[in-house]
Formats: sequence, C-alpha cells, structure tokens
Amino acid sequence: MSSAEKAIPRSLAEIPNSRPRYIGRPTNRLEDPALLTGRTQFIDDVVLPRMLHCAILRSPHAHAKITAIDTSAAEKLAGVAAIVTGEDARRWSNPVMTVPPGWGTHCLAIDKVRFVGEPVVAVAATSRYVAEDALELITVDYEPLPAVVDARQALAVGSPLLFEENGDNVMFRKLFTWGDVDAAFTDAAHVVQRDFRWHRLGANPLETFGVISQWDEVEGTLTCRGSFQAQNHFAMSRAMVFNLPLHKVRFISHPHGGSFGGKGGARGTDITALLSRKSGGRPVKWIEDRMEYLAGGASQAWDRHYDAALALDVDGKVLGFRVRLLDDLGATAEGWGAVSAAKPLTAFTGCYAIPAAQYDLTIVATNKLPGSPYRGMGPPPHNWVLEQLMDLAARELGLDPAEIRRRNFIPPAAFPYTIASGNEYDSGNYEATLAAALAMGDYRALREKQARLRSEGRYLGIGLVTTIEPGVFDWNAYAIVGQPGTGVPEGATVAIDLFGKLTIKVGFALEGQGQYTVAAQVLADWFNVDIADVRVIPLDTLSAPPHFGPGGSRLGVAVTGAVLGAAQRLTEKLIAVAAGLFRTTPDQVELRDGRIGVKGNPEASMPFQEVAQAMLGRSDLLPPGIDPNPEATYVWTAPGRTPADDQGRAKSYLTAANACHLVVVEVDVDTAQVRIEKYWIADDCGTRLNPASVEGQTQGGVAQGVGAALLEEAVYDEDGQLRTSTFMDYLLPTIYEVPMTVKQALCTPSPFAPLGAKGCGEGAMHATPAAILCAINDALAPLGLEFREVPASPQRLWTLLRQARRDR
Amino acid sequence: MTSTRRIGMTVNGERYEADVEPRTTLVDFLRGTLGLTGTHVGCEHGVCGACTVLWNGKAVRSCIMLAVQADGAELKTVEGLARGATLHPIQQAFLEKRGLQCGFCTPGLMLSIDELLARTSAPTDTEITDTIGGHLCRCTGYQAIVEAVHLAIEKLRTK
Repeated sequence: MSSAEKAIPRSLAEIPNSRPRYIGRPTNRLEDPALLTGRTQFIDDVVLPRMLHCAILRSPHAHAKITAIDTSAAEKLAGVAAIVTGEDARRWSNPVMTVPPGWGTHCLAIDKVRFVGEPVVAVAATSRYVAEDALELITVDYEPLPAVVDARQALAVGSPLLFEENGDNVMFRKLFTWGDVDAAFTDAAHVVQRDFRWHRLGANPLETFGVISQWDEVEGTLTCRGSFQAQNHFAMSRAMVFNLPLHKVRFISHPHGGSFGGKGGARGTDITALLSRKSGGRPVKWIEDRMEYLAGGASQAWDRHYDAALALDVDGKVLGFRVRLLDDLGATAEGWGAVSAAKPLTAFTGCYAIPAAQYDLTIVATNKLPGSPYRGMGPPPHNWVLEQLMDLAARELGLDPAEIRRRNFIPPAAFPYTIASGNEYDSGNYEATLAAALAMGDYRALREKQARLRSEGRYLGIGLVTTIEPGVFDWNAYAIVGQPGTGVPEGATVAIDLFGKLTIKVGFALEGQGQYTVAAQVLADWFNVDIADVRVIPLDTLSAPPHFGPGGSRLGVAVTGAVLGAAQRLTEKLIAVAAGLFRTTPDQVELRDGRIGVKGNPEASMPFQEVAQAMLGRSDLLPPGIDPNPEATYVWTAPGRTPADDQGRAKSYLTAANACHLVVVEVDVDTAQVRIEKYWIADDCGTRLNPASVEGQTQGGVAQGVGAALLEEAVYDEDGQLRTSTFMDYLLPTIYEVPMTVKQALCTPSPFAPLGAKGCGEGAMHATPAAILCAINDALAPLGLEFREVPASPQRLWTLLRQARRDR
Repeated sequence: MTSTRRIGMTVNGERYEADVEPRTTLVDFLRGTLGLTGTHVGCEHGVCGACTVLWNGKAVRSCIMLAVQADGAELKTVEGLARGATLHPIQQAFLEKRGLQCGFCTPGLMLSIDELLARTSAPTDTEITDTIGGHLCRCTGYQAIVEAVHLAIEKLRTK
C-alpha cells in the first residue's frame, strides 16, 4: 500500500457518507435471529464422525502425593477407547506456560496434586455416560500432604510448598513507586488507612468451556474446535505445549455462551488432544460440566488482602495513595491471574489527580484453584479500595462524598493526562459525569430522605462512586509480570463479491457483545449500503488475519479500526480502477455516499459495486498492472503505545472511559438484609457505536457487580475443600437482586481511537461493587460501624451488627 | 446399563420414537438423539433454567428429567417457536429490546415466558418477575428481558 496511507477516521464526519444510517444508532443485531431460533452452533452442538467423549477424574485432595494409579478395569469397559494420565502428559507435552513463568504444571497431575478438582486421569469413550462409568472403575492412591489455604500462611516460614523447587510460595513480588510518596505521607494533614478483604469469585458464563480436539499423526497437525475466547492465543500456547510449529495447529472458535474472561479451557484442550493422539486420531469432545467449572475451571478470580492508605492535605486534596496487596493466585499461575494484579497500574489513581502512589504487590500460591481473569481483570477490587477510602476520608474531613471527589478530579483541560503509574488517559469530563448522576438521582433530596428515615430507625445508605475503565488493552501493561510485547493486533478482511455484496472476515467468534453488528454497521455506513448486504464471517487461526479477539474492553474499538482501515484500502483500490474507467487520475476520483466518481462532477459516477464487478469480470477494462481483487485487509493496533519502564509505566490502554454510579440501599439492621432501592448511572465512553449494545454491557456489568458485592464467593474450608461446588451454593444474581437502573449517556470522544469510541464492556463491574459497599458503609456510619469485606453476605453483615450490639 | 426402553413423544408437533437407556436425561435425548440442539445445558443440576422446555404445556428443566419420563408427552422446544423465517412475537420482542447477549440462556427463558403468556395475556409484574426469576442470565442484567416481555405481551395482544 502507499506509504502515505490515510489515518483511521477518528470521527463520523471523516467517513465518505453524508448520511450514515447505522453507526451511533441502536441497530438490531445481526447475531440475534440465529440465537433466538436455536440455530447458532455452540460447541456442544457439533458432532464429528467417530467422535469420542471425554470425562475427567479429578483430585479429591487439596495437596497430596499420587502413589499409584490403576486404570486396568476401566480399560476393559466396552466403549472405552483411550485413557491418559500424567505419564502420557509427561511423554507428549510440556507444562503450560504461566505468567509469571515457572509456576505451571502439565494438564494432568504428575507425582502430586495441588488443588481439589485438579485433573488426574481422563477417559475417552463412545459416550459421556460410558466415559463417566469408566471413571468409577479407576483407582488412584494418594498420600495426603499438609495444605496451605490462607495467603498469609503461605508466606510463613515452614509453610507447605506448592512447588518445592521454587523454594517458597511467592510467585511475584515488587514494590512500585511513582513520585515522592514518602513525602506525600509525611506532609499529609490526614492519613486514612484501612485493610480490605475481597474473596474469590468469578465469571461463570452460562455456557461452560467445551472443545473437540483432533490429532492427526499423518499430517502432524492438531485441530481444535471450541469456545475459545482468544483462539490465536490458544493456538500459540498449544504449539508450545505440544512442540508443534504454529502452522500445524488450527483453532476454530465456535460461538460461545458468554466468557467474561473466565472461559478457561487450556487443560481440557490439552487433555483431549492427548486422548485423540492415544486413540489413533479420533476427535475427542469434552464439555466441562458446571461442577467441573466451579471446582476446576476458570471460575475464580481476585482473592485479595489489601492494606491501603490515602494522604490528604487540610482541604481534602489527595497527595498520595499507597496500596499493599497480597494476592492469592491459588495453585498455579496458568490462568493469567498475575495480569489481574498488574492491570490496576493502568488506572491506579482512578479519576483523581494524585501525584504520588505506591503499589506493594505480592502474589502467592496456595492449594486452591488457579485464579483466572474476570471482567475488569483486577480493577474492580482496586477501585473499591480507592473509592471506599475516598468516602472514609470525606467522613474524617467533614466533606460530602461528592465534594471530596470534585476537589480531586483530573480537570477537563488537563487531557491527555498521564497518571502517576504511567498510563495516559485520552479524554474525559469527570465533573460533568458526577453532576449528571447527582441530578438524575436528586442527590440533595436523597440525603434529606436518608436523614428523615434515620430518625425513624431505618438505615438508608447512599453510594456515590466514580471509575475509569481503561479500554483497548495492551500487552505492555503486563510486561512487568512476565507477559512481553507491545500492541495487540486485530485484523479484518473486507471484500466485495461479483453480485455487489460485502463480507468482513474476522478472527473471533460470537460471544455476546455484538461486535459482528458493530463491524457491519461501520462497513455499511462506509459504503452506504443496507446492513443486510454485509455478512461477517469468523475464520480460524490459520485463515484469519492477525487477531486477538475480545478482551480488555478492546474489540469494539479494535474491530472498528480494522474495518475502517480495510475499507479505506479497498476504496483506494476501487478508485485506482475507476480512474482508469473515467480516464482520469486517482486523485480526481472519490467515494461518496456509495458512488465512485470524479470529484465535482456528479454525472461521472457509478455505484461502487460496479467498479468491483469490473475488477472481477471485465479484465479488458482494467488499467494495466492493477490488482483485480476487490478485497483488502487491515490489521489495527492502538497507535502510540510505549514499552513499560522498570516501574511498569507505559502508555498502555488507549482509552479511558468514565462513569459515575449513584445507588441507594437500605440495610435492615435486624436481619442484615441489604436491599437495593434505586440505581443511577452516568456514563461517558465517548462515541457509542451501538448505544443499545453499550447499555446492555452496562446493565450486565451491574448484575455481575451486584453478585460480587452481595452474593458470590468461592468458599474453601481449612483443608482446601471447596464448599461452593454447585449453583445452589455459589449464588449468581437473579432478577430478584439486580436493580433496574436509570442510565444517562455523556460523550467526550476519544481523540485517539477510531470514531472517538472508547472501550466500554467492563466499567460497570469496576463501579458497582464499590458503589454498593460504599452505600452499605454510609448506612452503617451512624452506628459507628465499618464493613470492609466483599461479598457483604447477610451472614457476615449480621455477625458485624450482632457484635456491635453486644459491645454496646 | 445397556438395556434400553422404547419411548415415543411429540416434539414441536412432530412424532418421534426411539430406544433409550433409562438413565438418559431428557435434554441429552433432545440434543443428542433428536438433534434438537437449541435447548442448552448450563448447570446440569436444575438451577439455571437454560434447559427449560415445555412438557405438556408446563415449563420443566430437561436436565433433571429422564427421557423415559417424557414417554407419551407433548414437548415444545425453542425450535418450535418460530414459523419458518417468521420469529414468534416473543423472539421478535427479545430481538427488538435486546433481551439477549450471548443467547445461551435465551431458549429456556423464552419457553418459560411462552408458558406464562399462554396462561395469561396480561400477567402482573410479579408474575413476570417470578417467571424470569427461575432463570439465570449472566449477560443482560435482566432489564432488557423485562422490557422484552412487556413488548411481547403487546405484540401478542395486537396480533
């Protein structure tokens, strides 16, 4: 392509259409008719010839030596085709790669198990029923070892060790210091310091992970179909696990029933690959069941102990912010959990201009399920700590929670603004977002109502929190925990067929957020066609242009950039051909409202489709040397990213969306029940490519935030046994708990991102737990109580309230 | 384990007969034997509601029912909602109101709503909440689902 390629449009005014019909409007989703009629092909709907079904025998112990495995009876069961153990894994595969490196194992336990639910033996049989029958016939002898379940005990001298060869249980330790934080605390008029505890919870998409693997020993290839959130990443990891060159590994991602970061599946993929190899190349399907997901899948994140402090001057200006985090990642680092601890660097100081900060980060291993990503990837607990401290500081200084936030906001004129921990926020107007939330909820009236009800013995709490949602993730943010790289590519191939219809080929599967529709909206408006004339086609890892897929609030922005770039390149090709047809030079030709013609001469123009048709069917008309393919590919990556320095500082995430949540709860001080009364959200994520999709993401994030704040917790006992192994114990929020929210959109476009859009899938998950916890503490304040534990389950709150009553 | 039993049933108006192992769950039968894969499995222990189908007009969890229990029954699954390419008013309402994101829980949810709206054309808010309350949706936060139910009621009334 030409060296002077045009920049990707950063506003709608820059696209060649004077009347765009789709971008920025709540366009119906292309994905929906198939989903609504049950026709979308999820992985468990796929049946291949000679396919086998896998079942996995898992460890009942948190920590134990494996002394013997006997599979002989199972091997004799009719219908069993292959059985694999750790020995097969050792022979045919490598340990999975981890972040940080050196804390991983093979897909099946070798010599010892490290958590309840760890895979030990796997069977492939003619049906799942038979495979599970076979598991009953397998005996594994264990010699139990002492388990360490508590993160603080894992640090103690003499603690049981997860990986003896590593010498201790510390996976990662680093003190990040940004600015003169010691001086900030020395000079402070007020220091507000507290500890906080966030318990394990996780993604729990309604569809668990599933995969069908096929090992072809003749071709030397591995083909896997499955519900992979990031198929290319899976393919690369499998290439390393099986010592295969990447072009021999094909990953085909199927539509999946949600992911939220916690789809997981690496072990299941490796196990089915081993079984396929051992069964002579038959395809092997494994569909994780819910109990497997809860005990052994990607269902747990953020097991955190915080000690944090704010330093403030007499006026309530925050001078410094210190966070000490002990992060319990569980048995291994296979689930990218360390990345979750590093992500807060991208928005460490939230919406506030805090000049100095410090992050004392320790990540430890314990005998629990390895931690995985979950929506937000780390900031939800961090943002709660920051926002709760802001509220506590306001109380100490006698300021209103709204006022202390106003005094510390990064002002609108300061953007782009580099925060202490190094990331650059692109744009924002935090005061406007706060003002919108206060106006929607009639904040003053709420405070009056609160005072009135308190005199009647009722405890209303008001939570008012703000958040930054870093959007468009970049690997550079994670270099510091051992994940190298800068930039995350997302490609799209745009083509026009002989009949004049359009296709967009991408490297990611349907997951729920509606990005196919966004891609189609962008292309339909670019060429001014009906959106029904655009079809989006997902391709596998060997066919698609470089891609990553959904993750880190990036895909809506990234695919928009990719489609715009490809459309721009394709337009250049059409213009070159049309210039020949019109007997002029390309600089005199333009695309406008779906027609290609000579600038300033409306008579000399034709539908763009006709140019493409000439390219495919009239070589006699084409100028010599022209590329006759009406197709173009563009791989978008965020512009201007920088590698991290030794303190983790980098221009990492491209966009910074902002929201303000205002919630009213009532705490029943007798039953400890928390009822959410009203909920308002003011949200600024720049240009909304599809406003209905953004609202859906926000409301869905609120629901998960409510679950986090009040219900969800993976509970282990002191022996490392999981107590929450079904949906009867691990409680997802239902319609009875989730509030119907009132939302208002503000728009401060990103000056850097395609069409001014900002990443927007995770923000509500950052804010909702913080808002509800701040509201609970606001309700409890007159009782002199503070609650600093997530989830705020009735039993925990009740214990606190009862204790307080006894003490009085 | 290998002994089978002959069962027959009507699914979405079509008659099926098959030999099944008595232990086969209804959802595995629908999905695996009949190939009706629109019914999804979310938890396999009767909590999430994704596998809901109508059994003689009543919403049931097909993951904790056996196929043999459906012998002689009339069943309705998500494949029985639309007529050809024309979406059922409930489906159309879900599409217009964005009552779905990943769409995995949606088939079961729509069948519970279908049962409700077959019973009453003007359900109370409590009835609507209690119908949705039997289902877990991890994507939408339920708000758009409530709006979709109200729109479906309107569509069915003016049909």
